[in-house]
Amino acid sequence: MRRKSGPAWLSVLTLSCVSLAACGQPAGPAPAAKATSPPEAAAKPTAAPAQPAAQAPATPAAKASAAGQPPVELRFAWWGSQDRHDRTIKAIQLFQQKNPGITISYEFAGFQDYFTKMTTQATGGNLPDLMQQDYATLSNWVGNSQLLALDSFVSDNTINLSSVAKNSIDGGRIGGKLYAVNLGNNSQTVVLDVAAFDKAGVPLPAPNWTWADFEKTVLDIHTKLGTYGAGPTLSDQQLWKSLYLGYGKWGFSQDGKALGYTDDQPLVDYFKLLLRLQEAGAIPSVQDEIAQWRTASVEARPIVAAKSAMDYMWSNQLVAVWTAAGADRKLRLQPLPRPVGGQSENYFKPSQFISITAGSKHPKEAAMFVDFITNDVDANKILLGERGVPIAPAVLEAIKPLSTPAQVEVLDYLSRLEKDNSPLPPPDPAAQPKLIDNIYLPQLVDPVLFGRISPEAAVTSFRKDATALLQSQ
Amino acid sequence: MAGVAPDSVSRQMGLGASARPAAATAARPRAWQRNLTGYLFIAPWLFGFLSFTALPMIGSAFLAFTDYNVLSPTLRWVGLDNFQRMFFNDSRYWRAVSATFSFALAAVPLKLAFALALAMLFNNSRRLVYGYRAAYYAPSIVGASVAVAVVWREMFGRSGLINNALAAVGVTGHAWLGDPSTALWTVILLSVWEFGSPMLIFLAGLRQIPSQFYEAAAIDGAGRWVRFLRITVPLLTPLIFFNLVLQMIFGFTVFTSAFIISGGTGAPLDSLLLYSLYLYQKGFKDSQMGYAAAMAWVLLAVIACFTALIFRSSSRWVYYESESEGER
Repeated sequence: MRRKSGPAWLSVLTLSCVSLAACGQPAGPAPAAKATSPPEAAAKPTAAPAQPAAQAPATPAAKASAAGQPPVELRFAWWGSQDRHDRTIKAIQLFQQKNPGITISYEFAGFQDYFTKMTTQATGGNLPDLMQQDYATLSNWVGNSQLLALDSFVSDNTINLSSVAKNSIDGGRIGGKLYAVNLGNNSQTVVLDVAAFDKAGVPLPAPNWTWADFEKTVLDIHTKLGTYGAGPTLSDQQLWKSLYLGYGKWGFSQDGKALGYTDDQPLVDYFKLLLRLQEAGAIPSVQDEIAQWRTASVEARPIVAAKSAMDYMWSNQLVAVWTAAGADRKLRLQPLPRPVGGQSENYFKPSQFISITAGSKHPKEAAMFVDFITNDVDANKILLGERGVPIAPAVLEAIKPLSTPAQVEVLDYLSRLEKDNSPLPPPDPAAQPKLIDNIYLPQLVDPVLFGRISPEAAVTSFRKDATALLQSQ
Repeated sequence: MAGVAPDSVSRQMGLGASARPAAATAARPRAWQRNLTGYLFIAPWLFGFLSFTALPMIGSAFLAFTDYNVLSPTLRWVGLDNFQRMFFNDSRYWRAVSATFSFALAAVPLKLAFALALAMLFNNSRRLVYGYRAAYYAPSIVGASVAVAVVWREMFGRSGLINNALAAVGVTGHAWLGDPSTALWTVILLSVWEFGSPMLIFLAGLRQIPSQFYEAAAIDGAGRWVRFLRITVPLLTPLIFFNLVLQMIFGFTVFTSAFIISGGTGAPLDSLLLYSLYLYQKGFKDSQMGYAAAMAWVLLAVIACFTALIFRSSSRWVYYESESEGER
């Protein structure tokens, strides 16, 4: 059974981390768990080894809880960057202070590994109570009955969404039921390094720039500065889907059983654009992208080290990127380019959701945490919109004065977009991850960018394979 | 005498006949007890084997014929669908097969050659030779670990050790891990670098070759190369055979290095998509556990075939010294 040694190793590690973390203290597998934690941490060494059963009452937090009530233990899992891990852990500690008798252990991963980890836990019936969800994966998890509908908690106000705009809630609805609460809005963006533009003497692009303008800007900067003009990850699947948003369409059809467009030419043209830029050395080559960036977190991007003047990402990621790049940098968010005469390729997306798993033993307490992370002003003063622009207006008002230049820019960007954006497309079909991992990247993007196959031929066979996969769902 | 003999025989037989059942009933619990002690001793292993190997294998054999997808609570019996899809409808499957064969065909012979070369180098009694042996064995202790794969990934990274060293001598670096023609070689190299255990086995074999063979050959005027080909290799064939089987099995199932070095994707162009990695992707990323189980059984069958092939061929090239003394 040697073939399983890798995953087995991973799951054993995960399980042991979980069981360690589940010992009632907010100590996760995290190197990031700083010494900022409240007195519980100090109480642990004395209380825990002596009488494990009594460890919880020994903590000051739990003392205040209703006498005789066993402490409720929840688990929360998310993906993200180091910045997010640090902030979320602090917010969890605050929740535990405010809610004695509830402890939350946590685990986190990068986006690449997160869903693999969660699937593994689902196999073992061992999912956390609270898990972060993505718009792309939500329908798959709901379809497999892994998530709990939250409507009853919303109607009894455990999760207070009364002040939240309907648009910001509806992304978490599937089949009329609310399965996930939006943790913040965001939108795709091109981050501009203003200093690089100044140095190259290239004007900042207009908000309604086209892909032709994009190509010219990238080449101009590369010629003047010798750095990359943009990139990497310009072949990301999100850009493929948004490309068709510019034509009033979308990557997938409404029911998710087919591609959402009939004309392959825009995609062919887009790959030709990437090939020209790659040929010119103005964006990282596909070799470099695979070797360095495709699976790395945003902190590793070339724009952080000023090696690229533009980079494509999600608006909320600016916070992590700017933190890594240093406060002295000046970064600006720019909407995605659009087709000539086309409409905006941007839409407001719930950046991620929090959901309660169907197997949770304490859904009520988990719902309290959902409310906490959504509405608690103090918690959001820690989180500071790193996951996206908060959906509760009161929270948004409260954090504005505290925001760093990065957060201010994200808030501004989304309000600039208010005037010009496309409607929220339907959630990705359940087969989306399969499509991306097995067809889009290995059979379309990579062979084209390696020059093994012409864009025309690749796009044609992509349509055939993708349609077959989507229909089989 | 003639009268006594049958008598005594019959008495003995009678004794025997009456005594044997008694002895047997007395001995049976004792034998059972003896066995029980043995079973108790292997109980930890037996428990581990039954619960972590036998049971999962039975489960996996069952799942191979279903569409079990991890998340959904229901599963459906699909017969041979998984196998049919694998062989006729999955181009990535065949790319994984071809990557795995390329890997095994390059890595196994290279590793054995390297192990043998170092074993020959260390087969002497110079000072410090024990220290060297230990030092060269160390990589294979840590070699298959995640940590080393991560180090490997960094070393061959765009601004890693290899490219920096090349830059120091004025050679432009290369995206080793991003180029489909070099990526697999980094994994092969990592595997060759774990040559420690075959090296130790070869070393043990070399020590057993009587030195008078070499002396006699040297007197007859045989050079180093001839001595190596005519004495060392033939006498080592049982160990070459053993190492070949072990390393072939390892070569077909290698996972960690390809997983870490390609970030779990098998990129570039699926050149790092080794069989175990694709199996893992299918099972844990695409949640097609049934399909992954089917893949696992095909892998088992292929490994069994190759092992059988090597065993069958061994009579032609493996030379056991004990045989020659008897019949030949």
